[in-house]
Amino acid sequence: MNNEAIKELLYKMADDQLILGHRNSEWTGMGPLLEEDIAFSSMAQDKIGQSHALYQLLHQLGEQEPDTVAFMRNAGQFHNCILVELPNGEYDFSLIRHFLYDTAEALRFEMLKQSSYKPLAELAVKIRAELRYHTLHANTWVKQLGSATEESIGRLQHSLEKALPYALGMFEPSPYEADLLSDRIFEGENALREKWMMHVEKVLSQTQLTLPDWKLIEPVYGGRVGQHSNHLQPLLDEMSEVFRIDPTAEW
Amino acid sequence: MNSLDPRVNRLPAVGQPGQVEPRAPLDQFGTFEVFVQAKEGKPFQHEGIVHAPNLEMAFVLAKEAFTRRFTCVSLYVADTRHVYVSAMTEGNTAAWDFINTVADKPGEKISYEIYLLPKRGKQHQHAGTVKAATPEEAMSEAKKQFGSKMVYNVWVIRTSDIRFTSPEEKELWLTLPEKKFRDASDYKGGDKLKEFLERSKIQS
Repeated sequence: MNNEAIKELLYKMADDQLILGHRNSEWTGMGPLLEEDIAFSSMAQDKIGQSHALYQLLHQLGEQEPDTVAFMRNAGQFHNCILVELPNGEYDFSLIRHFLYDTAEALRFEMLKQSSYKPLAELAVKIRAELRYHTLHANTWVKQLGSATEESIGRLQHSLEKALPYALGMFEPSPYEADLLSDRIFEGENALREKWMMHVEKVLSQTQLTLPDWKLIEPVYGGRVGQHSNHLQPLLDEMSEVFRIDPTAEW
Repeated sequence: MNSLDPRVNRLPAVGQPGQVEPRAPLDQFGTFEVFVQAKEGKPFQHEGIVHAPNLEMAFVLAKEAFTRRFTCVSLYVADTRHVYVSAMTEGNTAAWDFINTVADKPGEKISYEIYLLPKRGKQHQHAGTVKAATPEEAMSEAKKQFGSKMVYNVWVIRTSDIRFTSPEEKELWLTLPEKKFRDASDYKGGDKLKEFLERSKIQS
């Protein structure tokens, strides 16, 4: 089995989960209502847990310990897409990002249930419940706010248009696409993007939000090869502050 | 007056002489009642409320508000306004004593869920389902079926007013038993405090 191809896949998935998990956790204590604060924080915690599981798989393939990998790299060594590192902004942007990202994430893991790389297939089966909740949460909010008031529809529409070029960046082609496909590890970013577009269209068609023509959206690539926005390094500095002072600290 | 304290901003402004106007509309979401089933075969129990814009959002928000820590297998929600409540009693008086027996009338009957309060200060527990034409008749039917139990309050909810967990959704709680880190005891706060105090003793 092609270990380099698997590692590339695992790194981008794990980094996506870690960075978005951290971003979403920035809402803890500041959510728009208590119940939503709890739900969003809880899902952020799930994401960090899922990143840990993926870093464990990388560790089994010879990479460093999960904590070291998560806290000791600089922005240029991260493989997350740029979408997940963007600042939270207002809640409408965080919600739209949650919807666009979690839809792709759930579909990716759904496809990976069939992976010939068994540890990843097993993880995909194990976390399906968490992903089901995350997409239920995202879809329900988007349907609710996407049809509620002029303000809620307008704000979601604005955030949707802002997020879409970055969302397409989630599917930045991998140099290992052909290997992953021929080894039946993963069907590839193109296949995932096609499924994702259909799901996004299906949910948005139940709202008053309008989807721009896909062909007119220019994807923002670079994240997968370590070319990030200037928002990632400050996030990493904050996230790893304690670990860098004292790697054995417990709290 | 603008203040950083939201309570100050919520103070009503001083009015005009002769002013008469309708009460301001609700500025919060409405409430929904949340019922949780701890184990397969155990009755659903009322756990509390969530605020939400509608029934479906209430279901989504209740899941993390009430079932992110302790293991459970299912939950459901109903709009607070759809819960019919009997008189509350105490001591040796059962709630049944305050429920009128309704004569059976012909007509369409629908399904109602029945919840009983076995002890003051405890939560209502699901007892069963009855068929009735009205909430009053559902109470009366509940009295016939469960009247031998000592209870202090009875709730009835139309079955069709409840947002249940669907069979496919039952997997929502699959990884919960592994999330020990969500238990307060898992932080081992007491141990950490003790260790800290001993360390400071040595230093001083």
